[in-house]
Amino acid sequence: MLTVSSLNVSLAGAKILRDVTFTLKPGATTVLIGRNGAGKTTLLRAIMGLTPAESGSAALDGRQLLPLPAFARAPAGIGYAPEDRRLIPEFSVEDNIILPGQALKLPQAEIKSRLEKVYALLPELHTMRARPGNGVSGGQGKMVALGRALMVAEKLLMLDEPFQGLAPALALDYARTLSRLRETMRDLTLLITESSPNLLKSVADETMLIERGAVTLQSPDAEAA
Amino acid sequence: MFETIVPLLIDGLANAALIFLVAVGLTLVFSVLRVLNVAHGSFYSIGAYAAASLGLWVVGAGLPGWLTFASLPLSAALVAVIVGPLIERTLIRWAYGKSEAVQILVTFGLFLILEDLQRIVFGVDSFYEDTPVQLLGSIEIGGVVYLTYQLVLILLAAALLVGLKLFIGHTRIGKLIAAVVADREISQAMGINTNRVFMIAFSLGVFLAALGGALTVPQAGVSPGLGADTMVLAFAVAAIGGLGKIEGAAVAAVIVALARVLAIYFAPELDAVAPYLVMLLVLLVRPYGLFGSATTRKI
Repeated sequence: MLTVSSLNVSLAGAKILRDVTFTLKPGATTVLIGRNGAGKTTLLRAIMGLTPAESGSAALDGRQLLPLPAFARAPAGIGYAPEDRRLIPEFSVEDNIILPGQALKLPQAEIKSRLEKVYALLPELHTMRARPGNGVSGGQGKMVALGRALMVAEKLLMLDEPFQGLAPALALDYARTLSRLRETMRDLTLLITESSPNLLKSVADETMLIERGAVTLQSPDAEAA
Repeated sequence: MFETIVPLLIDGLANAALIFLVAVGLTLVFSVLRVLNVAHGSFYSIGAYAAASLGLWVVGAGLPGWLTFASLPLSAALVAVIVGPLIERTLIRWAYGKSEAVQILVTFGLFLILEDLQRIVFGVDSFYEDTPVQLLGSIEIGGVVYLTYQLVLILLAAALLVGLKLFIGHTRIGKLIAAVVADREISQAMGINTNRVFMIAFSLGVFLAALGGALTVPQAGVSPGLGADTMVLAFAVAAIGGLGKIEGAAVAAVIVALARVLAIYFAPELDAVAPYLVMLLVLLVRPYGLFGSATTRKI
């Protein structure tokens, strides 16, 4: 699975990640907890190749990721939903979801079957599939970003602060969706970042803490500080 | 008045059709690569030289005249396939993400190189090959005689506008291009090879400009300096329409054509400056062009 070792990232001269080292358990849900500015988003972006790393490595099933261009993550089976959703505004919800499938040149039938799976998991996306990317609320946008990430997430799904800014009802919906996702896709490894330690307790198999760019491991039952 | 202004209008629209092809490529390349390619007009003249050479060869070899029609898009495609990827991969890619000043210097340098290369290869003579215009002949509508070729040009440009919109909106490659225009970074995260999209978009831009150049040969021939003249006009059209807007380029090309017709009719000495007067007026009122806005990135 994903193994990150001694990862260091600096942005504009400031050290953001310090010697980050961890291994994700295959098929487990790992929640990375840290305050705003602790480095959660930068860690995911570095793994995705969107922010350059100074040193260290990240490997997926033994394959080194950091030397690869950013666009090589999706074909490697990594799905990513950024914190700020980043939907294509003029694309419909459905076109947003299938975009990674088209980028990977998946056969039409395969895109269709993956889309069905996404709709089965997130029925509300089917209802709003024709709406434009800029015509959905922030919370709905997070669902679309999740669906889009699932289009290619065969091995690893990384969700950056999915609960941030969600209305309580939507947050509950989203948590239920994650539980259902856990049941239907048992092999999928999940890495979810979150600033509040309590929100994801129910879904987390593993918990990691990140503080000022340094990651510490925690057992699932330990009290999050 | 009708007998004078309508032929002027058709002539103006036919020229607008060609300028549209250059401007729309310029705008497409700008919105995908975020590089304003000052050398874009050179692809127009290279396309013109290629079409003239190929057309003259077809005629010289005694091949059937209708083959000169096929030689027009064929030469544009050849230019796009050979010149497009070569220039994008070796030169333009170094300008990505650099400041506008660097981009303009790099592409202006490219423009000077391409202009000199054309002089070396094709000399300073003009070339004419008008078999397509001859073959299509003319039609008389309402007592006025028009070159059929010019009417075909106008219809062709309209068809290309529709085709381009359909291509961007409904094909796989088009969708990838639109996604890269909207959000380059998330496109990469979703698995889009942006470098490949840059190359495709750039080559498509080269094709459109070269096609414009090829299509001008049967009615006007090709002579040195054609690229520079076209570039300035195409830039004015792209700026009026709003950089990055396909339909903006089309509307602006028509507006510029109308302005020139009016100038020729009422004040012939203003013909050459009319497009720039329109640009000045439009940009004073709408700095991002008729269809443009400060924030949206869209084709």
